[in-house]
Amino acid sequence: MSKNITIAAVVALAMTTAGCTTTGDGGMSGGMKPPSAEARAMAEKLTFAEKGFVQDQPMQEGGTGRDRLTQDETQKICTDVALSGKPIDDATASKVRALAKASIKYPSGGIKLGDWEKGRVLAWSGFGFRTAHKPDNHKKREPGATCYNCHQLATDRTGGTIGPSLTNYGKIRGSSDEILKYAYDMIYNPNVTFPCTNMPRFGANGVLTEQQIADVMAYLFDPNSLVNK
Amino acid sequence: MLKKILLAIPAAMFAVSVQAAEPSDSPYEVLTELLSKNKDDLYLNQSQQNLMIMPDDPALFTAEEGEALFKEKRGPKNASLEGCDFGKGPGVLKGAYVEMPRYFADTDKVMTFESRLVHCMVTLQGFDKKDKQVKKRHGSGSDMMKLTTYIAMQSNGMPWNPRMDHPKEKALRDAGEVLFYRRSGPMDFNCATCHGQEGKRIRASVLPYINNPAEWTKAVSWPATRVGQNNVRSTFHRVRGCLYQMRYPNLKQGSETATALVSFWTDAARGQPAILPDTKR
Repeated sequence: MSKNITIAAVVALAMTTAGCTTTGDGGMSGGMKPPSAEARAMAEKLTFAEKGFVQDQPMQEGGTGRDRLTQDETQKICTDVALSGKPIDDATASKVRALAKASIKYPSGGIKLGDWEKGRVLAWSGFGFRTAHKPDNHKKREPGATCYNCHQLATDRTGGTIGPSLTNYGKIRGSSDEILKYAYDMIYNPNVTFPCTNMPRFGANGVLTEQQIADVMAYLFDPNSLVNK
Repeated sequence: MLKKILLAIPAAMFAVSVQAAEPSDSPYEVLTELLSKNKDDLYLNQSQQNLMIMPDDPALFTAEEGEALFKEKRGPKNASLEGCDFGKGPGVLKGAYVEMPRYFADTDKVMTFESRLVHCMVTLQGFDKKDKQVKKRHGSGSDMMKLTTYIAMQSNGMPWNPRMDHPKEKALRDAGEVLFYRRSGPMDFNCATCHGQEGKRIRASVLPYINNPAEWTKAVSWPATRVGQNNVRSTFHRVRGCLYQMRYPNLKQGSETATALVSFWTDAARGQPAILPDTKR
């Protein structure tokens, strides 16, 4: 019982400090008229039109432009939420959470922290998976974790504000098993906590490897990391 | 006669009241007036430095070069672009840029400004799409950017007013809105990930919010000098840059898909004064 309360408190703290609610992000504002079925059908047609996006452009992960444009179930649901102009409803939120929960794989030896200095390099880097007119070459450079685009982390660089500040992340929260799992889930698939969040699914979508996630985790939790200084 | 004068007076008063800027206003003056109405806006007020550069914006020279190119007889057909119809009649440039994308009966298509310019260079001047005059789309030194900057400048200070008279115009605008919110790719991004909230930043840069037309007019006011790139950039250059960061495959300019996106984003600035050319980070 007391353990449950502790977990609930940790999650509540993490959620409060994340500054989020369960409202879906990146959607139309309330009061706007949702698009018609015709507009939605036309958008799908235009997405896959041969003369629009380059459908057969090769992608770094293998596959093509068409594969990148093809939505999985989470993306479909979260697009519907974005187009509804309303916050996500409870039933939809539960569904997105369940999909997320099923997607998360944990390291065989448990969640461990890697090298915070490597994590720092990853957190700074916005390289990787960009294609369009000048594809990122993953053979020349390792893809990054793009954290600073949206988050403030250590104060030696200005971070974005689309996501909450993560400065002193480990210093404030400690490094209990519960908070480590919470942070791991947030990186792997944040929809498990915030359905239809703006944040990418770095683990579930194969953007970061298990080792990279461990390194980014170390950047967040290691007492020596600049995030906690 | 008297009746005509009496009719003309309210018409003239109306004309004055709806005109967003005097023809003599510079882009700098259009922007400073917008800023004076939005003093606390984080996006609009983020760069004092760019504002200081504006009166001497290199894009103004790009426009001058564009004017000469526009009037010059060029191409295999030895014709100037003065016969090009940008929607308001052959050679009529004033206010044409802010009404695009629009439907053109001669092609039976909704066209962006860039597509229409290409169309005229090919049909009127006889250029091939592979000729460098048409093919080179980016950089202040390109004919396309010179011409675009000159023509766009003839709409400086006028309110964005993309046409919605033809059913195809409305259909593409509405599809563009869906595309704006459609999430896909390895990062699950849509356009609203960055442009769906007000006052948010990507690292140090404040992002424009789609539902704030005063912010959005600056966001869509291209051509603009990208100070960090030392070049005048186009609408499509911006769209392409966003899609690149979104991890989407390459999008072809001139496609209906691209036109739909540009129709929606222009419509979101409707009624706000265009800053042409603008200066950006």
